[in-house]
Amino acid sequence: MTDRSDRWGALLGRANRGEAVAYAAFLQDVTPVIRTIVRGRSSSEFENEDIVQEVLLAIHAKRHTWREGDPVAPWLYAIARYKTADAFRRRKGAVQVPIDDLAERLADEAPGDPTAARDLGRLLEGIDERSAGIVRAVGVEGESAGEVGARMGMSEGAVRVAYHRALTRLKKMAGSKE
Amino acid sequence: MKTEDLIATLAAEPAPPPAASLERRAGLGAVAGLAVTVVLFLAVLGPRANLGAALSDPVVLAKTLMPLLLALFAGALALRSARPAVPSGVPGRIVWLVPAAVGALFFWALGATEAGQRLVAFLGHSTQVCIPAITVLSLPILAGLIHAMRGGAPVHPARSGALAGLAAAGMAAAIYSLFCTEDSPLFYAVWYSVAIGVATGIGAVAGRRFLRW
Repeated sequence: MTDRSDRWGALLGRANRGEAVAYAAFLQDVTPVIRTIVRGRSSSEFENEDIVQEVLLAIHAKRHTWREGDPVAPWLYAIARYKTADAFRRRKGAVQVPIDDLAERLADEAPGDPTAARDLGRLLEGIDERSAGIVRAVGVEGESAGEVGARMGMSEGAVRVAYHRALTRLKKMAGSKE
Repeated sequence: MKTEDLIATLAAEPAPPPAASLERRAGLGAVAGLAVTVVLFLAVLGPRANLGAALSDPVVLAKTLMPLLLALFAGALALRSARPAVPSGVPGRIVWLVPAAVGALFFWALGATEAGQRLVAFLGHSTQVCIPAITVLSLPILAGLIHAMRGGAPVHPARSGALAGLAAAGMAAAIYSLFCTEDSPLFYAVWYSVAIGVATGIGAVAGRRFLRW
Protein backbone atom coordinates (compact mmCIF):
# COMPACT_ATOMS: atom_id res chain seq x y z
CA MET A 1 0.00 0.00 0.00
CA THR A 2 2.67 2.46 1.04
CA ASP A 3 4.88 1.10 -1.72
CA ARG A 4 2.19 1.91 -4.18
CA SER A 5 1.66 5.40 -2.82
CA ASP A 6 5.42 5.98 -2.97
CA ARG A 7 5.60 4.76 -6.52
CA TRP A 8 2.68 6.99 -7.50
CA GLY A 9 4.31 9.89 -5.69
CA ALA A 10 7.52 9.45 -7.64
CA LEU A 11 5.62 9.21 -10.93
CA LEU A 12 3.32 12.14 -10.26
CA GLY A 13 6.22 14.28 -9.08
CA ARG A 14 8.03 13.66 -12.34
CA ALA A 15 4.78 14.15 -14.24
CA ASN A 16 4.18 17.55 -12.66
CA ARG A 17 7.66 18.57 -13.72
CA GLY A 18 6.66 17.85 -17.29
CA GLU A 19 7.60 14.21 -17.92
CA ALA A 20 4.83 12.93 -20.15
CA VAL A 21 6.00 9.32 -19.95
CA ALA A 22 5.88 9.28 -16.16
CA TYR A 23 2.46 10.91 -16.27
CA ALA A 24 1.09 8.32 -18.68
CA ALA A 25 2.49 5.55 -16.46
CA PHE A 26 0.90 7.17 -13.41
CA LEU A 27 -2.53 7.45 -15.05
CA GLN A 28 -2.33 3.90 -16.34
CA ASP A 29 -1.34 2.67 -12.91
CA VAL A 30 -4.20 4.40 -11.09
CA THR A 31 -6.95 3.64 -13.61
CA PRO A 32 -7.74 0.13 -12.30
CA VAL A 33 -7.93 1.51 -8.77
CA ILE A 34 -10.33 4.23 -9.91
CA ARG A 35 -12.35 1.62 -11.74
CA THR A 36 -12.72 -0.32 -8.50
CA ILE A 37 -13.83 2.79 -6.61
CA VAL A 38 -16.41 3.65 -9.28
CA ARG A 39 -17.68 0.07 -9.41
CA GLY A 40 -18.04 0.07 -5.63
CA ARG A 41 -20.55 2.91 -5.80
CA SER A 42 -22.38 1.82 -8.89
CA SER A 43 -25.35 -0.51 -9.07
CA SER A 44 -24.86 -1.31 -12.73
CA GLU A 45 -21.94 -1.40 -15.10
CA PHE A 46 -23.76 1.20 -17.13
CA GLU A 47 -21.64 4.29 -17.85
CA ASN A 48 -19.00 3.23 -15.31
CA GLU A 49 -16.19 3.76 -17.77
CA ASP A 50 -17.51 7.26 -18.49
CA ILE A 51 -17.21 8.05 -14.80
CA VAL A 52 -13.72 6.55 -14.65
CA GLN A 53 -12.80 8.95 -17.42
CA GLU A 54 -14.40 11.86 -15.57
CA VAL A 55 -12.27 10.99 -12.54
CA LEU A 56 -9.15 10.85 -14.71
CA LEU A 57 -10.01 14.26 -16.13
CA ALA A 58 -10.54 15.60 -12.61
CA ILE A 59 -7.18 14.25 -11.47
CA HIS A 60 -5.65 15.84 -14.52
CA ALA A 61 -7.29 19.20 -13.89
CA LYS A 62 -6.40 19.19 -10.18
CA ARG A 63 -2.99 17.53 -10.25
CA HIS A 64 -1.38 20.76 -9.08
CA THR A 65 -3.24 20.43 -5.74
CA TRP A 66 -0.96 17.53 -4.81
CA ARG A 67 2.24 18.72 -3.18
CA GLU A 68 5.37 16.74 -3.59
CA GLY A 69 5.94 14.76 -0.41
CA ASP A 70 2.24 14.38 0.44
CA PRO A 71 0.97 10.80 0.18
CA VAL A 72 -0.65 10.32 -3.22
CA ALA A 73 -3.07 7.51 -2.40
CA PRO A 74 -5.35 9.45 -0.01
CA TRP A 75 -5.28 12.43 -2.35
CA LEU A 76 -6.25 10.25 -5.27
CA TYR A 77 -8.99 8.41 -3.37
CA ALA A 78 -10.47 11.68 -2.12
CA ILE A 79 -10.74 13.00 -5.67
CA ALA A 80 -12.07 9.70 -6.99
CA ARG A 81 -14.71 9.47 -4.27
CA TYR A 82 -15.75 13.09 -4.70
CA LYS A 83 -16.02 12.86 -8.46
CA THR A 84 -17.77 9.50 -8.40
CA ALA A 85 -20.37 10.72 -5.91
CA ASP A 86 -20.78 13.86 -7.97
CA ALA A 87 -21.22 11.90 -11.20
CA PHE A 88 -23.83 9.58 -9.75
CA ARG A 89 -25.68 12.49 -8.18
CA ARG A 90 -25.78 14.34 -11.46
CA ARG A 91 -26.93 11.29 -13.35
CA LYS A 92 -29.65 10.76 -10.80
CA GLY A 93 -30.76 14.36 -11.04
CA ALA A 94 -30.76 14.30 -14.82
CA VAL A 95 -33.41 12.73 -17.02
CA GLN A 96 -34.22 9.34 -15.58
CA VAL A 97 -35.48 7.81 -18.84
CA PRO A 98 -33.64 4.58 -19.64
CA ILE A 99 -31.52 5.24 -22.67
CA ASP A 100 -32.80 2.30 -24.66
CA ASP A 101 -36.39 3.58 -24.55
CA LEU A 102 -35.17 6.92 -25.73
CA ALA A 103 -33.06 5.45 -28.47
CA GLU A 104 -36.00 4.65 -30.75
CA ARG A 105 -37.20 8.21 -30.74
CA LEU A 106 -33.79 9.71 -31.04
CA ALA A 107 -33.26 7.69 -34.18
CA ASP A 108 -35.70 10.08 -35.89
CA GLU A 109 -33.30 12.95 -35.37
CA ALA A 110 -32.62 14.09 -38.91
CA PRO A 111 -28.87 13.86 -39.30
CA GLY A 112 -27.55 16.92 -40.99
CA ASP A 113 -29.74 19.58 -39.55
CA PRO A 114 -27.06 21.67 -37.83
CA THR A 115 -24.45 19.48 -39.47
CA ALA A 116 -25.31 21.22 -42.72
CA ALA A 117 -24.13 24.50 -41.28
CA ARG A 118 -21.20 25.84 -43.25
CA ASP A 119 -19.08 26.35 -40.19
CA LEU A 120 -19.63 22.93 -38.69
CA GLY A 121 -15.90 22.44 -38.30
CA ARG A 122 -15.64 25.56 -36.22
CA LEU A 123 -18.66 24.60 -34.12
CA LEU A 124 -17.26 21.15 -33.51
CA GLU A 125 -14.14 22.68 -32.05
CA GLY A 126 -16.36 24.23 -29.40
CA ILE A 127 -17.53 20.91 -27.95
CA ASP A 128 -15.53 18.11 -26.39
CA GLU A 129 -13.56 15.84 -28.65
CA ARG A 130 -15.57 12.77 -27.89
CA SER A 131 -18.91 14.36 -28.80
CA ALA A 132 -17.36 15.98 -31.86
CA GLY A 133 -16.12 12.55 -32.94
CA ILE A 134 -19.60 11.09 -32.59
CA VAL A 135 -21.17 13.93 -34.57
CA ARG A 136 -18.60 13.51 -37.32
CA ALA A 137 -19.04 9.76 -37.49
CA VAL A 138 -22.84 9.67 -37.34
CA GLY A 139 -23.83 12.98 -38.89
CA VAL A 140 -21.14 13.49 -41.50
CA GLU A 141 -19.73 10.09 -42.34
CA GLY A 142 -23.13 8.46 -41.93
CA GLU A 143 -21.98 5.59 -39.75
CA SER A 144 -24.67 3.88 -37.71
CA ALA A 145 -24.82 4.41 -33.99
CA GLY A 146 -24.06 0.71 -33.55
CA GLU A 147 -20.83 0.93 -35.56
CA VAL A 148 -19.67 4.03 -33.72
CA GLY A 149 -20.57 2.44 -30.40
CA ALA A 150 -18.60 -0.69 -31.18
CA ARG A 151 -15.58 1.41 -32.09
CA MET A 152 -15.79 3.65 -29.02
CA GLY A 153 -16.82 1.01 -26.55
CA MET A 154 -20.26 2.50 -25.93
CA SER A 155 -23.72 1.01 -26.29
CA GLU A 156 -25.76 1.97 -29.33
CA GLY A 157 -28.23 3.82 -27.14
CA ALA A 158 -25.44 5.74 -25.40
CA VAL A 159 -24.08 6.85 -28.78
CA ARG A 160 -27.51 8.06 -29.86
CA VAL A 161 -27.98 9.99 -26.68
CA ALA A 162 -24.50 11.49 -26.89
CA TYR A 163 -25.17 12.39 -30.52
CA HIS A 164 -28.48 13.97 -29.67
CA ARG A 165 -26.97 15.98 -26.82
CA ALA A 166 -24.10 17.11 -29.01
CA LEU A 167 -26.54 18.24 -31.72
CA THR A 168 -28.55 20.18 -29.16
CA ARG A 169 -25.41 21.89 -27.98
CA LEU A 170 -24.31 22.63 -31.55
CA LYS A 171 -27.72 24.09 -32.39
CA LYS A 172 -27.49 26.30 -29.36
CA MET A 173 -24.01 27.42 -30.35
CA ALA A 174 -25.03 28.02 -33.95
CA GLY A 175 -28.01 30.02 -32.72
CA SER A 176 -25.94 32.17 -30.42
CA LYS A 177 -23.49 32.99 -33.17
CA GLU A 178 -26.10 34.37 -35.52
CA MET B 1 -13.07 7.73 -26.41
CA LYS B 2 -11.24 4.75 -25.00
CA THR B 3 -9.70 5.28 -21.61
CA GLU B 4 -6.29 4.42 -23.07
CA ASP B 5 -6.64 7.22 -25.62
CA LEU B 6 -7.78 9.64 -22.95
CA ILE B 7 -4.69 8.84 -20.89
CA ALA B 8 -2.47 9.38 -23.90
CA THR B 9 -4.15 12.73 -24.58
CA LEU B 10 -3.84 13.89 -20.99
CA ALA B 11 -0.21 12.79 -20.75
CA ALA B 12 0.63 14.87 -23.80
CA GLU B 13 -0.57 18.08 -22.16
CA PRO B 14 1.91 20.54 -20.65
CA ALA B 15 2.81 20.34 -16.96
CA PRO B 16 0.54 22.11 -14.44
CA PRO B 17 1.45 25.34 -12.62
CA PRO B 18 3.56 24.79 -9.48
CA ALA B 19 1.79 23.57 -6.36
CA ALA B 20 2.38 26.73 -4.31
CA SER B 21 0.15 28.81 -6.55
CA LEU B 22 -2.97 27.99 -4.51
CA GLU B 23 -1.52 29.73 -1.45
CA ARG B 24 -0.43 32.67 -3.56
CA ARG B 25 -3.83 32.98 -5.16
CA ALA B 26 -5.54 32.81 -1.79
CA GLY B 27 -3.20 35.47 -0.44
CA LEU B 28 -3.96 37.73 -3.37
CA GLY B 29 -7.69 37.03 -3.09
CA ALA B 30 -7.70 37.83 0.61
CA VAL B 31 -5.70 41.04 0.11
CA ALA B 32 -7.98 42.18 -2.73
CA GLY B 33 -11.08 41.47 -0.64
CA LEU B 34 -9.51 43.11 2.37
CA ALA B 35 -8.82 46.27 0.36
CA VAL B 36 -12.51 46.51 -0.57
CA THR B 37 -13.52 45.89 3.03
CA VAL B 38 -11.14 48.55 4.37
CA VAL B 39 -12.43 51.12 1.87
CA LEU B 40 -15.99 50.23 2.81
CA PHE B 41 -15.12 50.51 6.49
CA LEU B 42 -13.44 53.88 6.11
CA ALA B 43 -16.25 55.22 3.93
CA VAL B 44 -19.13 54.16 6.16
CA LEU B 45 -17.84 53.64 9.70
CA GLY B 46 -14.27 54.80 10.29
CA PRO B 47 -12.16 54.27 13.41
CA ARG B 48 -13.41 55.40 16.82
CA ALA B 49 -12.01 58.46 18.56
CA ASN B 50 -8.86 57.87 20.62
CA LEU B 51 -8.33 54.48 19.05
CA GLY B 52 -4.74 54.22 20.24
CA ALA B 53 -5.62 54.98 23.84
CA ALA B 54 -8.48 52.48 23.79
CA LEU B 55 -6.28 49.73 22.41
CA SER B 56 -3.83 50.12 25.28
CA ASP B 57 -6.41 48.34 27.43
CA PRO B 58 -5.80 44.59 26.93
CA VAL B 59 -9.51 43.79 27.19
CA VAL B 60 -10.17 46.19 24.30
CA LEU B 61 -7.16 44.94 22.40
CA ALA B 62 -8.52 41.40 22.70
CA LYS B 63 -11.60 42.53 20.79
CA THR B 64 -9.34 43.10 17.79
CA LEU B 65 -6.74 40.38 18.38
CA MET B 66 -9.09 37.43 18.97
CA PRO B 67 -10.90 37.70 15.63
CA LEU B 68 -7.56 38.31 13.94
CA LEU B 69 -6.16 35.09 15.40
CA LEU B 70 -9.33 33.28 14.39
CA ALA B 71 -8.92 34.57 10.84
CA LEU B 72 -5.35 33.34 10.75
CA PHE B 73 -6.19 29.79 11.84
CA ALA B 74 -9.41 29.56 9.84
CA GLY B 75 -7.59 30.83 6.76
CA ALA B 76 -4.93 28.16 7.14
CA LEU B 77 -7.66 25.54 7.58
CA ALA B 78 -9.57 26.78 4.54
CA LEU B 79 -6.43 26.46 2.44
CA ARG B 80 -5.73 22.97 3.71
CA SER B 81 -9.30 21.96 2.96
CA ALA B 82 -8.83 23.06 -0.64
CA ARG B 83 -6.33 20.23 -1.16
CA PRO B 84 -7.80 16.73 -1.15
CA ALA B 85 -6.89 14.58 1.87
CA VAL B 86 -4.60 17.14 3.51
CA PRO B 87 -5.23 16.84 7.27
CA SER B 88 -6.17 19.93 9.30
CA GLY B 89 -2.96 19.49 11.33
CA VAL B 90 -1.73 22.09 13.82
CA PRO B 91 -4.20 24.88 12.93
CA GLY B 92 -7.04 22.37 13.32
CA ARG B 93 -5.89 21.64 16.87
CA ILE B 94 -5.19 25.17 18.04
CA VAL B 95 -8.09 27.01 16.40
CA TRP B 96 -10.23 25.94 19.38
CA LEU B 97 -8.07 28.05 21.65
CA VAL B 98 -9.70 31.18 20.24
CA PRO B 99 -13.31 30.40 21.23
CA ALA B 100 -12.00 28.98 24.50
CA ALA B 101 -10.17 32.23 25.25
CA VAL B 102 -13.22 34.29 24.24
CA GLY B 103 -15.41 32.17 26.51
CA ALA B 104 -12.93 32.69 29.35
CA LEU B 105 -12.98 36.46 28.72
CA PHE B 106 -16.76 36.43 28.84
CA PHE B 107 -16.87 34.67 32.19
CA TRP B 108 -14.10 36.83 33.57
CA ALA B 109 -16.12 39.92 32.61
CA LEU B 110 -19.24 38.41 34.10
CA GLY B 111 -17.43 38.23 37.43
CA ALA B 112 -15.76 41.61 37.09
CA THR B 113 -18.93 43.51 36.15
CA GLU B 114 -21.32 44.69 38.84
CA ALA B 115 -24.51 42.66 38.87
CA GLY B 116 -26.65 45.67 37.93
CA GLN B 117 -24.42 46.53 34.98
CA ARG B 118 -24.21 43.07 33.40
CA LEU B 119 -27.37 43.21 31.33
CA VAL B 120 -26.61 46.74 30.15
CA ALA B 121 -23.12 45.72 29.06
CA PHE B 122 -24.40 42.56 27.41
CA LEU B 123 -27.14 44.27 25.41
CA GLY B 124 -24.99 47.29 24.54
CA HIS B 125 -26.41 49.87 22.18
CA SER B 126 -25.20 48.74 18.77
CA THR B 127 -26.12 45.14 18.00
CA GLN B 128 -28.23 46.36 15.10
CA VAL B 129 -25.07 47.88 13.58
CA CYS B 130 -22.56 45.31 14.77
CA ILE B 131 -24.07 42.16 13.31
CA PRO B 132 -24.92 43.43 9.81
CA ALA B 133 -21.68 45.44 9.60
CA ILE B 134 -19.41 42.48 10.38
CA THR B 135 -21.38 40.28 8.01
CA VAL B 136 -21.23 42.78 5.15
CA LEU B 137 -17.57 43.63 5.75
CA SER B 138 -16.74 39.92 5.52
CA LEU B 139 -18.30 39.46 2.09
CA PRO B 140 -15.55 40.98 -0.11
CA ILE B 141 -12.92 38.91 1.69
CA LEU B 142 -15.06 35.80 1.37
CA ALA B 143 -15.44 36.45 -2.34
CA GLY B 144 -11.68 36.79 -2.74
CA LEU B 145 -11.01 33.60 -0.81
CA ILE B 146 -13.66 31.57 -2.62
CA HIS B 147 -12.40 32.79 -5.95
CA ALA B 148 -8.90 31.64 -5.06
CA MET B 149 -10.06 28.32 -3.65
CA ARG B 150 -11.79 27.46 -6.89
CA GLY B 151 -8.25 26.87 -8.12
CA GLY B 152 -7.94 24.13 -5.51
CA ALA B 153 -9.94 20.95 -5.23
CA PRO B 154 -12.11 21.10 -2.10
CA VAL B 155 -13.79 17.72 -1.66
CA HIS B 156 -16.13 19.16 1.00
CA PRO B 157 -17.27 22.39 -0.69
CA ALA B 158 -19.64 23.51 2.07
CA ARG B 159 -17.03 22.94 4.78
CA SER B 160 -14.35 24.76 2.79
CA GLY B 161 -16.75 27.62 2.18
CA ALA B 162 -17.60 27.79 5.88
CA LEU B 163 -13.90 27.95 6.77
CA ALA B 164 -13.40 30.71 4.23
CA GLY B 165 -16.41 32.50 5.72
CA LEU B 166 -14.95 32.10 9.21
CA ALA B 167 -11.61 33.53 8.09
CA ALA B 168 -13.31 36.42 6.29
CA ALA B 169 -15.54 37.13 9.29
CA GLY B 170 -12.54 37.12 11.62
CA MET B 171 -10.83 39.78 9.53
CA ALA B 172 -14.07 41.75 9.22
CA ALA B 173 -14.68 41.62 12.97
CA ALA B 174 -11.12 42.76 13.68
CA ILE B 175 -11.65 45.73 11.38
CA TYR B 176 -15.09 46.51 12.76
CA SER B 177 -13.70 46.43 16.30
CA LEU B 178 -11.68 49.55 15.47
CA PHE B 179 -15.00 51.40 15.10
CA CYS B 180 -16.92 49.72 17.89
CA THR B 181 -16.99 51.37 21.31
CA GLU B 182 -18.58 48.45 23.14
CA ASP B 183 -15.59 47.37 25.17
CA SER B 184 -17.08 44.79 27.49
CA PRO B 185 -16.49 41.13 26.61
CA LEU B 186 -20.08 40.64 27.76
CA PHE B 187 -20.98 42.44 24.55
CA TYR B 188 -18.36 41.53 22.03
CA ALA B 189 -17.78 37.91 23.01
CA VAL B 190 -21.44 37.27 22.27
CA TRP B 191 -22.48 39.56 19.45
CA TYR B 192 -19.26 39.36 17.45
CA SER B 193 -19.59 35.59 17.68
CA VAL B 194 -23.15 35.76 16.42
CA ALA B 195 -22.06 37.91 13.46
CA ILE B 196 -19.14 35.60 12.73
CA GLY B 197 -21.54 32.67 12.86
CA VAL B 198 -23.82 34.33 10.31
CA ALA B 199 -20.89 35.04 7.99
CA THR B 200 -19.67 31.46 8.38
CA GLY B 201 -23.09 30.20 7.35
CA ILE B 202 -23.02 32.45 4.30
CA GLY B 203 -19.60 30.98 3.53
CA ALA B 204 -20.97 27.45 3.73
CA VAL B 205 -23.79 28.27 1.33
CA ALA B 206 -21.41 30.05 -1.02
CA GLY B 207 -19.01 27.11 -0.84
CA ARG B 208 -21.71 24.63 -1.70
CA ARG B 209 -22.59 26.76 -4.69
CA PHE B 210 -19.25 28.01 -5.96
CA LEU B 211 -16.68 25.50 -4.77
CA ARG B 212 -18.13 22.47 -6.54
CA TRP B 213 -15.99 21.22 -9.39
